[in-house]
Amino acid sequence: MSPRNRILGHVRAATATRPEAPHPGRFDGTYATDDDRTPVERFSDLFTTSGGEIERFEDVEAAARWLARYADDYDGVTVGATVPTALRPALPSTCPDLAPLGVTLAAAAIAETGSLVLDARDGRRTQLLAPTHVVFVKARDIHSTLVDALSDLRGDLPSAIGLHSGPSKSADIGQILVRGVHGPGRIVAAILGEHPDELRGGRHG
Amino acid sequence: MSEAFRPAHYGTNAARIIRDEPTMRTAVTEATRSKDERRQAAWAEIDADAWRDWARDLKTHVLTHLADYLEEAEDRLIENGVHVHWAETAEDACRTVTRIADGRGVRRVVKAKSMLTEEVGLNAHLEAGGLEVRETDLGEFIIQLLDEPPSHIVGPSLHRSLDDCRRLFHERFGTPPDATPETLAATARRVLRDDFLRADMGVSGANFLAADTGTLALIENEGNIRISTSVPPVHVALVGIEKLVPTFEDLSGMIQLTARSATGQPIGNYTSLIQGPRRPGERDGPEEVHVVLVDNGRSRLLADDHAWETLRCVRCGSCLNICPVYRQTGGHAYGWAYSGPIGAILAPGLLGLEESMPLPYASSLCGACAEVCPVRIPIPELLVYWRERAAEEGLAPRTETAAMKAWATLAEHPGAFGAAAEAIRVLPRGKAGRALPVLRGWVEERAAPEPSGERFLDTWNRREDR
Repeated sequence: MSPRNRILGHVRAATATRPEAPHPGRFDGTYATDDDRTPVERFSDLFTTSGGEIERFEDVEAAARWLARYADDYDGVTVGATVPTALRPALPSTCPDLAPLGVTLAAAAIAETGSLVLDARDGRRTQLLAPTHVVFVKARDIHSTLVDALSDLRGDLPSAIGLHSGPSKSADIGQILVRGVHGPGRIVAAILGEHPDELRGGRHG
Repeated sequence: MSEAFRPAHYGTNAARIIRDEPTMRTAVTEATRSKDERRQAAWAEIDADAWRDWARDLKTHVLTHLADYLEEAEDRLIENGVHVHWAETAEDACRTVTRIADGRGVRRVVKAKSMLTEEVGLNAHLEAGGLEVRETDLGEFIIQLLDEPPSHIVGPSLHRSLDDCRRLFHERFGTPPDATPETLAATARRVLRDDFLRADMGVSGANFLAADTGTLALIENEGNIRISTSVPPVHVALVGIEKLVPTFEDLSGMIQLTARSATGQPIGNYTSLIQGPRRPGERDGPEEVHVVLVDNGRSRLLADDHAWETLRCVRCGSCLNICPVYRQTGGHAYGWAYSGPIGAILAPGLLGLEESMPLPYASSLCGACAEVCPVRIPIPELLVYWRERAAEEGLAPRTETAAMKAWATLAEHPGAFGAAAEAIRVLPRGKAGRALPVLRGWVEERAAPEPSGERFLDTWNRREDR
């Protein structure tokens, strides 16, 4: 008999006489029911609490103008595959492990946890290896809860999703918090606000 | 790690740590207090009782139908292009990883933090096979350099102070003796970044495995798990068979409750949800993903009608953080990968009771661990359960057995009982406690219990309102 069948046999025998225990149902974690903040505000509050930075723009043009100024401090960039042309900084393209700056587009975000949903189709090294990471996210893509976001994602899953909710950090050295241990020490969520339809390039385009 | 790193040496190891390494007790107590305060604050923001009921019920449901969910997960993983392996023992798990590495000509391995790989002793096995293994979690990196086992499920190096780390990095990497934590972390980043880019294989554990999508979920803050599972061409995940959850959506509650309990965050700064190898159209990601489903005693523990509840554990470390016994020594005294209250009930389940003695006794049964367990494992009851089993199997400590025998003899012989009670009463005041063998240690630092001057029965009979 194979190890697989022996393990499954042992597990079946172990649970054969256990009383039935039903699934408790969909997780209903909405804990701040009296919260009158919008999803964008809740996302922004949690993201900054965990050490991230927030920028908000009414439209792609405003975001592009900000990005041009922001990029002035860098001499190279790695850009995610799904980032629209308007939001690609005018910097030399560098491979992700050498780039000082990474610019990506989030597939979604989550207000409840303050998380950006990063899709492997945008490029995993670009999301992880540069010391500074700018992530564009459309305001309309911010879900209230993690469970809502997961339900929405399940129909079209890539090889991997990263939920990024702040900078890389560790307290393993004497319990003192340091940033930028492996992933980016700076992460900026750039929220594209009122006119998201102007954002061209498509979600995975 | 020495031969002394076994549960059997708990007493001597605990005594040695308290005597010879007083800074460890301070470091562990301060770190665990602060972790527990963060958990309390994070629980105060939610309906913690409702979340914990949900999480308990979800894990109980999964464990009751575990074989079905394992088969479903296997089907989805294979559909996703993942190679699925099954390992009955620690040795099998290690050999499986070696076989995968050999098949790909792997020489360099980067590891994300995984308690299961500590449990099965993977590093020693791979190194003995000539592979270069690098722990990439900063805490694991520190203890790997020190050649120490982890001291805590979540914070493996929390027993080490900033000064310990400064000395270590000064000796190994030439950083200044008074380097800041930022400098030390930057040094580790530089060393490990090179390892990530050169690695042939990344090895991780998993916090959860969602059966209906075949998704591995991993929670962290540094980004080393995301990099270990994204950059090397091969990713191998070791997953305990109890890590299943039924659906992708179920990950929501488990990820959030685990993060709030472990570090007091709404979620870890990085959470990976992995479906398999790089797909057409994706620019990067591993070419091969392997999942090794590990039993190593879990199916036997699942068959125990009392102790199976231990398998609900999500490895958040809350019970370690609040435990007054763990705080005195940190994890090394326990002589096993898992320490603290959860280690003391997991050990008899996974290693067998005889090999785990005296860990079920490494507790004052104060009950704090049950108050903080996010999946409501009745840890104190299970500690007592394993003590009862130890007594039945003749494994209980000799002093306990002798004391219980003496008590039973006295209780069955009223004459002897009366004489013994009289003896305690007539001893000089203040000396009674000191005369008793078991109480001597207790009263050396405290006021001895004062025996009453008369028998309880006489007091009772004198009551005026009877």
